[in-house]
Order: sequence, then C-alpha cells, then structure tokens
Amino acid sequence: MSTHHISTLPTLLSVAGALLVLTFLTVAVTWINIPEPFNVIVAIAIAIVKAAIVAMFFMNLYWDSKFNTIVFLLSILFLTIFVSITLLDTLFRDAGLPIY
Amino acid sequence: MGNQSAAAGRKSHLQHHFVNEDQQFESSKMGMWIFLVTEVLMFGGLFVAYIIYRAWHPDLFYMAAQELDVALGATNTVVLIASSLTIALAIRAVQLDKIKAAINYLSATLLLAGTFLVIKYFEYMDKFGKGIYPGQAYSYEGIHHEMAVNFFSIYYMMTGLHGIHVLVGMALIGWMIIKAKKGAVHSGYYTPVENTGLFWHLVDIIWIFLFPLLYLID
Amino acid sequence: MAERSANTLRIREFPIDENPKHTYLNHEKGILSWLFTLDHKRIGLLYLGSITFFFFVGGVLALLLRTELLTPAQSIIDADTYNQIFTLHGAIMIFLFIIPSIPAALGNFFLPMMIGAKDVAFPRLNLASWWIYIFGALFALFSIVNGAVDTGWTFYTPYSVQTGTAVVSMTLAVFILGFSSILTGINFIVTLHKLRSPGLSWSKMPLFLWSLYATAVIQILATPVLAITVLLLAMERILGIGIFDPAMGGDPVLYQHFFWFYSHPAVYIMIVPAFGIISELISTFSRKTIFGYWAIALSSLAIAFIGFLVWGHHMFVSGQSELSSVVFSFLTFFVGVPTGIKIFNWVATMYRGSIDLKTPMLYALAFLFLFTIGGLTGIMIGALSINVHLHDTYYIVAHFHYVMMGGTVIALLGGIHYWWPKMTGRMYNEMWGRITCGIIFVSFNMTFLPQFIMGSQGMPRRYFNYVDQFQGLHQFSTIGSYLLGLGFVIMAVYLAWSLFKGPRATSNPWKARSLDWMTSSPPTHHNFEYTPVILHGPYDHHKPMKEFRMGVAESEEERESAKQKPLKS
Repeated sequence: MSTHHISTLPTLLSVAGALLVLTFLTVAVTWINIPEPFNVIVAIAIAIVKAAIVAMFFMNLYWDSKFNTIVFLLSILFLTIFVSITLLDTLFRDAGLPIY
Repeated sequence: MGNQSAAAGRKSHLQHHFVNEDQQFESSKMGMWIFLVTEVLMFGGLFVAYIIYRAWHPDLFYMAAQELDVALGATNTVVLIASSLTIALAIRAVQLDKIKAAINYLSATLLLAGTFLVIKYFEYMDKFGKGIYPGQAYSYEGIHHEMAVNFFSIYYMMTGLHGIHVLVGMALIGWMIIKAKKGAVHSGYYTPVENTGLFWHLVDIIWIFLFPLLYLID
Repeated sequence: MAERSANTLRIREFPIDENPKHTYLNHEKGILSWLFTLDHKRIGLLYLGSITFFFFVGGVLALLLRTELLTPAQSIIDADTYNQIFTLHGAIMIFLFIIPSIPAALGNFFLPMMIGAKDVAFPRLNLASWWIYIFGALFALFSIVNGAVDTGWTFYTPYSVQTGTAVVSMTLAVFILGFSSILTGINFIVTLHKLRSPGLSWSKMPLFLWSLYATAVIQILATPVLAITVLLLAMERILGIGIFDPAMGGDPVLYQHFFWFYSHPAVYIMIVPAFGIISELISTFSRKTIFGYWAIALSSLAIAFIGFLVWGHHMFVSGQSELSSVVFSFLTFFVGVPTGIKIFNWVATMYRGSIDLKTPMLYALAFLFLFTIGGLTGIMIGALSINVHLHDTYYIVAHFHYVMMGGTVIALLGGIHYWWPKMTGRMYNEMWGRITCGIIFVSFNMTFLPQFIMGSQGMPRRYFNYVDQFQGLHQFSTIGSYLLGLGFVIMAVYLAWSLFKGPRATSNPWKARSLDWMTSSPPTHHNFEYTPVILHGPYDHHKPMKEFRMGVAESEEERESAKQKPLKS
C-alpha cells in the first residue's frame, strides 16, 4: 500500500540539507539590496519552495493519496481568495470608481 | 500493508466500524489533513491582517522590523527545521520497529521545540524591556511612526499563536513518547505518531513563512 | 484494495427485521450511556435535544421582542434590555441552534446509515464535538448572566470594543462552538470518502449527503477564520491591539471583512443541508426519481464555492471601496444560479409524480414557497443600488427570516417528521401534523410578510420604538408570531404523545428508496447487522418495493475461512 511510505535516510537528510541551504539563501538575499517589490517576491518564493519541500517529503504528500494534496492546496486557494478580495477593498478605498 | 503478519499477536487497534487497518489509517490521516486545512485558514486570517497593513504602511513595516533580531529568528528557523527532521526520523524508526531509536528521536524533537520557545522567550523579554508590548501597554519611542504599535500587535499575535501551537505540538510529542515507551505504537500501528508528525511539520511550515515576513524586511 | 476486488463478491439477500427487540435505544441503559455514547445515532439525538432547547430559548426571546413592538413607545422592556435581547436572540439562534441543527442532529443520525456504515469515521471526535458544543453553550449562558451582550450577533467594532457588556466571554463561546462545528465537518468528509459500503458509488449517494458534504467543506474552510476573528476581537478588548479599533489606528471595516468571510458562507452552512432534506422529501413523496441528480448534487458544491466570493454584500454602506462594492454586487447574483437550478429540478421532479401530501411533503411545499420568496428578495438586496436604500431595515430582517426560518427551519421540521418513525420507531399523528404545518405556514407569513412592507417604507431594524404609522403592521406581525409559537407548542405535544402512544412504525412507512430505510425502525446498534452491498439507486421509484433488496458482503473472516477450507480438506 503506497500510503505506508517509509522514507529512506538519505532522502530525509538531503531534504533537511536543502531546507538549511534555502534558509541561508533567504537571509543572504537581504544583504544585497533588491528593489522594493522584488525583495518581497524573492522572500516569499523561497518560503513557498521550502514549504513545498516540507509538505512533499516530510509530510509524504509526494507518495500519499492525491486527495490529501488537493485538500491542502484547497486551503491555499481559499486563503488566496480571502486575501485578494479583501485587497480589492483596502487598496482602492480612496480611489472611487475608475469610470468616474 | 506488508507486515500485517508481523503485527499479528499485538493488540488490535481496529475499531468496529472499519473494515481493516488500512482503511482506518487512511481515514485518520485524511482527517488530520483536513484539520491542517483549518489551521492554515486560522493563521491565514493573521496573514491577511499582515498583508493589508503592510500594503497600507510599507515604511512602518520596514522601520519596525529593524527592531527584530535576524540572528535569533534565523537560529529558530534552523532549530525548527532540525526538529522536523528528527520527527521524520522518529516516524521512520517506528515504521521499522526501532522503538528505542524512535523514543530518542522524539525526545530530541521535544528538546528542539523547547529550545525554540526559550529563544522566543528571550526575544519577547528583550522587547518587553524596551517597552514594546502588544496593544495599549506599548511605550517604546524608538520608532517614529504613529502606527508603530500595529506592527508589533500583529507580530505578537502571529508569533504568539504559533508559540501556542509549538506548546500543543510538544504536548503531543510527549504523549507519543509515553505511547512508544508503553509499546503502543509499532510498524503495524503508528497512526498517532504519523499525525503528530503532520501537525509538527505544519508548525514548521508556518514559521517558514513568519520568518521572512517579520524579520527580513529590507 | 486491489486484492479484494479480484475476489468475486458473493451476495446474499439482506432481510429487514421488523419491530426488533434490541435497538440502539435499549442497547445500553442509563443516563451515562447516553452522555458518553459513541453511537452516532445517540449523539444525533443529543444534538436534536440540545438544539430544540435553544430553539425554545431563542423563540421565547423573539416573542419578547415582538411583544415590546406592540406599541410605538416603550411597552414592557427598555431600550438597553431590548438591545441585549435581540443580540441574544440572534446569537443563540445562529450559533447554538441553526448551524448545528440539520448537520449535527439529522446528519449525524442519518449520514452513516445512508452509506451503510456502522458509524462515522471518528466516533470519539463526534462525542467530543457535542461536549464542546455544550461547553460553548455554557460560556454563552455565562455571558448572558454576566452582563449579556448588546452588539448584535455580528459583534461589529468599534462598538464591541467599547461596550461594557460581556463581549469577551460571548466571543470565546463562539470560538468554542466553532471547534464543535469543525469536528463535525471533518468527521463527515472523511466518513463519506472512506466508509461507503460496497456498491455505493458517489453517483448513488442520496442528495442529502451531497448537501452535507458541501456543508462540511464550508465548515472546514470558513469556521477557522471566525475563530481567528473572535480571537482578535477578544485581544482587542483585553490588550487593545489596534487591528480593528479605529481609536488605535485600526480598521473597523477590516473586522467586517474577517467576520463576513466566515458568516456569509455560514448562511450556506445553514441552508445547504436544508436543500438536501428537500431533495429527499420531494422524491419520496412524488414517487419519482429525482430530476437532475447531478445538477442538484453539483449545485450544492457550486453554492459552497460561490458563497465564499460574495461576503462584501453585507458591507455596501460600511465604507468599503466602491470598486469592491460593485464586484461583490455582481458576484452575488451568481449564487442565484445554482439555487435556481435546485428549485427547478424539484419542481420538475414533482411534475407527473404521484404526489402524496403527507406532513413532510407539506413542509417541502411550504419550503418551496417560502424559500423562493427569501431567495428572490435576496437577489433584490444583492443589487447595490436597492441595497443602499433597504440597508438595515426590516426588509433585511424579513429576507433572512424567510431564508433561515422559511427555508432551514421548515426543512428541518419536514426532516424531523420524515425521519421520526425511523428515529423513534413510532408514527406521529398525521392529522395533527398537517394542521400544525398549516398553522406554521400561515402564521409565519403573517409574522414576516408585513416586515417586507415596513422595511420598504423605511422601518429600521433593531429599534425598540417606531413612528405611529407602522403600528398596525407591527401588531399584525406580533399576532402572527404568537400563532407561530402556538404552532410549535402543538407540535411538541403531538410528537411527545407519539413517543408513548403512537402506533409502531414499520421499517419503511413512506416506501422510500434510500438506504436509511432498508433497516429496522428504530435501527439496531450497528445500523445494519452485516456490511450491506448496494444494488439500487437512492431514488429508484420506478422499481416496485418488493424488488428492493440489499446484498450482504462477506466479512473478512468468512473470506479467510473460504480460502483456508480447500487447503484443509
């Protein structure tokens, strides 16, 4: 049964190694001054990669039933909905309607 | 599952309404994943507050983040990654019936989680010493921004809720150590350890986002 | 799993035991066997009892409000008490009654039975969810004693931060109740995915289960946001964190975004399970296969999804940006589409059916009438321009009572009557059932139809006094509410009477086709004595009743011994 996946030692160790490298990287990029919107994007991109690695290999989503992956992605999707629709208000509070 | 014969003779954990242990295991894990969804959305509310206020006051977030100690934050990130590794190793050990090793790995995870909280404690005390409190008690004058308290309110809410989750995770890990010592988990039945692992990894994932968002604003 | 399907499944016929001696009701005895039961059926009844109690409490509060409104000036209670009572009426009815009503009571009881399972996936979590609910209810009662709450059930900032009433304990009650709701949701989703009997594909699931599935999805995705919202509100009061409080530089409109991200989907937590009951009732009492099975099933999921995109239509006059108001108004209209699909499919199901006007069917018809009014007025106030005019008037009050009470409560009553024989093993009195349904239908309209008129003429909600011109309509509405209360009293009497004196119910008095009716009334402890193999669809009314049967799957031991035997002999 594929859901009883037993990770090999090299896998676990290299996953942890990759996470440590990415942690170093995310601190290191702050030493070079990337201009305003891109520094956030880089930081979040690295965090997403790290989170994906944890979810896939530590939490076994890579080997697990695909339904669990869908469930997890669903939470991200609805969080995105929450953020983006709220921003539709807060970013345009003083703007009025574009057509007027 | 391949080693059902190995599990023979052990006390059966199969509840009456499941057909077999696989069905029970997969149900528990699915339930845990759905629970993790609720965790993501609960933290999500705080992330939304963070995003809204950062979009409104980017200068405040830049100024206030200078007060946080990147070195301590990075150390805590490393500590949590290490704890994620040890709990993954613990699950592997249980799956291979190496119960002693599993107990050691779980204890190491507990220790790392404790280290995280101790570092967090010193960070909080440092802030409190300067008068950086959440909410009305805030009295620090080093940040020249009228909204300065809002950043730290969000900071304390996010790290505080995360800290509570670390505590809950520690309680769960402690419980797993007791279970392992009693011989209640083994290769034929390791559902609780697996689910504790999932919870702990989620705590790690949330911190992976908190670290750059709170500490690394340049 | 692959090994098992390779085995050929031997099927025997499953006999239904009429009037069994051992049922879930007498399986164990004593009050503790009820309070700490792991049986989903008993937990369902625990929930049913609890929500009935809180419906009574909330109902009495509503009658107090209506009595105060008999005269334009103060009649029996002062303005502050009035504020507290309408807040409690709202909070109790929503958090303690209507959200757990159909899923946690009827859903708990019938979800496992409809899929041929012995229980939900996590029986202990199920029990915990009831205890957490009771714990949350105690918190709510504590805050009532400890100064009550006068903010309205929405706890809007900044007033909820400033008021001297017990907001913190009430929000903590809401937080705890949210947990209970989440646990039920997790249980339902996993149960439906993992515990369906052999042969019960997704396309053979009764539509009630599809609606519970959609509801559970909303519970999972929305409730945690409510948790963090009330947590932040409590922190706002305790520490003054200044995220929602404008005095501290916070944004009160952001609170409303947080609150309605949960609370708008929550109205679908309330109404979607009702749709499921109506699908069952209409098919059964029309003796006809449901029209558009997949359309109804998927429209539940569509409502669940679209429900997350429209929360801002509660905030048109709250000061959100014009752009988002326009977008929210536009998106709101989309909710009407899947809802309309359902209504048309139900009507099409009845077309040329052999309609039997038993009490549950009368409630289903009342639902179609009342919910359609509630739904269409919802489309009206979803329109931005009309909403600005009608905002915070009695028009809104009438609209959501038509949806919540005319929709959910009426469907719940229909469901209770429909499953009463299955739950209790007794038949209620059909004549009194019909009369009471008539009383409730008429008095409900007496109560709330005048409120549409008053609202459109400008009567604001949440006021304890009003200008003289509204007195006639207000009095008419109050008399209607008294009749409504009387209707519920009559119902309580004949249902209680049936428990002791009602005739014994057969296993399938309505000749329904879904699995919950394929076992004895009341069911035994394990629902089915064997793992059933499902051979028919849940709405196969074209097949005669005598052809209806269930197979029995071999148990693991039987299969093992079947394998062993050739070796031994």
